[in-house]
Amino acid sequence: MFGKYKPLWGNKTRLKSSYDAVIIGGGLHGLATAYFLAKEHGMKNVAVIEKNFIGFGGAGRNTAIVRANQRTQINVPLYKEALDLWPVLTRDLDFNLMFNNCGNLNLMHSEAAMNAARMNIATAQFHGVESHLLDAKQVKEMVPALNISPDITYPIHGAMFHPPGGIVRHDAVVWGLAKGAVKLGAEIHQQTEATAINTENGRITGVETSRGKIHSPRVLVSAGGYSAGIINKMLGIKLPISVLTIQAMVTQPLKPILNHVVSSGAYHAYANQTLKGEIATGAHMDPWPNYTTLTTAYYIKHQAQALSEFLPCLRGVKFMRHWGGLADMTPDMAPIMDGNDPIDGFYMNCGWGYFGFKSCSAAGRHLAAFMATGNCPDILEPFNLRRYEKHQLMGETAALVSYTPDN
Amino acid sequence: MSLTLTCPICGKRNGYEFRYGGEDKGPRPAEDGLTPRSWCDYVHMNKCVAGVQKEWWFHRDGCGSWFTTYRNTVTNLEVEAPEAKE
Ligand SMILES: Cc1cc2nc3c(=O)[nH]c(=O)nc-3n(C[C@H](O)[C@H](O)[C@H](O)COP(=O)(O)OP(=O)(O)OC[C@H]3O[C@@H](n4cnc5c(N)ncnc54)[C@H](O)[C@@H]3O)c2cc1C
Ligand SMILES: [Zn+2]
Repeated sequence: MFGKYKPLWGNKTRLKSSYDAVIIGGGLHGLATAYFLAKEHGMKNVAVIEKNFIGFGGAGRNTAIVRANQRTQINVPLYKEALDLWPVLTRDLDFNLMFNNCGNLNLMHSEAAMNAARMNIATAQFHGVESHLLDAKQVKEMVPALNISPDITYPIHGAMFHPPGGIVRHDAVVWGLAKGAVKLGAEIHQQTEATAINTENGRITGVETSRGKIHSPRVLVSAGGYSAGIINKMLGIKLPISVLTIQAMVTQPLKPILNHVVSSGAYHAYANQTLKGEIATGAHMDPWPNYTTLTTAYYIKHQAQALSEFLPCLRGVKFMRHWGGLADMTPDMAPIMDGNDPIDGFYMNCGWGYFGFKSCSAAGRHLAAFMATGNCPDILEPFNLRRYEKHQLMGETAALVSYTPDN
Repeated sequence: MSLTLTCPICGKRNGYEFRYGGEDKGPRPAEDGLTPRSWCDYVHMNKCVAGVQKEWWFHRDGCGSWFTTYRNTVTNLEVEAPEAKE
């Protein structure tokens, strides 16, 4: 049994001098794009280059929550497609992604928030996404551990319940997509850093890497939190992005108390219980941009206070591990997916903030179509970079758990 | 690593007393001949430097002044103004 281990995504191979497409960043979006390029467009001469190891970025650090109850008409269908893809991918990749569709419960702490939830639910239902309003009593029946008494800082008035969402094992998604992409012919090159992007007469010609130069007519930057910085440094294009460290943690394992993902915008915390019994919890974002990925005492205190108010049975429980990753935040809380503008053959997929896990399958799939044909699929069109100068920002900041460096 | 910042009036204080005010982008563009594009550049676009950048801060829980300073975004430490280049 031991000694026969081979990485699912192949052994380290020579970097070729040219590819039909190069993808910078071995995260969720880069791997999903490579997989769908091969699977749906027969484009196999593709290299994913990754500075560290696949899953090093947000892909391996997120809290694995998936849902499709976004705020706007433009965003909901994309997230719905992504949610519907988990069972399909589990089968097609022949890899258990451990999708636990336990449902998401967004707590509401005022009558105004209940009204906002009513609108959010109407949008979801219009797009065929299951979502209901619950009052405080129904919330208590569903999650007895919640404190619905009126004498906490933000009393619970009700909740928005979204049954089809839940948790997917994030590492499994990285490994499964990598395995699937390589099986179909794509190459994954770890410990390979993109150091420059080459252009000639407004066209992409290739990428320089720490392991040599590659020619390619198509380059996708999907380097997560690092995208905005490298796009500015390598191509002089500025993006409407702020990069912040976002933190998360787990408690010691406990008996089952939470069967759903519970989140609160007012307390600025979310929590769910993992299969091992830990309470996985997070949400706090540093209030100023930084690339540290460090955790802070300030946040640990915030999280302990928040959790022990709405889930008082957690008082005295110990945090076992904590970590941080990067979130690249846009002013309208929606991503930037664009291509062939202002450079032919240059594609970008970034600005996902803390929503980039749940969306990776659908986004990667449509980006693959964009890169293979050169034409932007309708569903991606509204996410172009020029929406900011045209003043067509999206209303995702009105989502119930909104948080950006601008507010 | 926790941040401290040096307010020109109150001196070195805990970073949580301050509100981040964005990357320093030079003077506000003139109203004459302003295009949506140049306004958008000024309002929204960032360099996202992983390293030392000049930026604005507001001493929210102190004297209320706005000032610029230099910070290394990778270490989260305030640094001396770099020597002017060229
Ligand atoms: C604590 C935390 C909790 C989160 N929780 C959730 C959640 O519950 N649900 C959800 O949907 N999302 C969540 N997110 C957000 C999600 O993780 C990200 O949006 C997502 O990982 C972005 O995917 P990506 O593929 O764009 O980038 P990443 O997964 O970050 O991958 C980018 C990769 O690019 C590589 N790279 C960078 N520069 C270079 C270079 N020059 N050359 C080569 N490679 C390079 C990096 O090493 C990295 O591996 C969370 C994020 C964090 C940090
Ligand atoms: Zn001051």
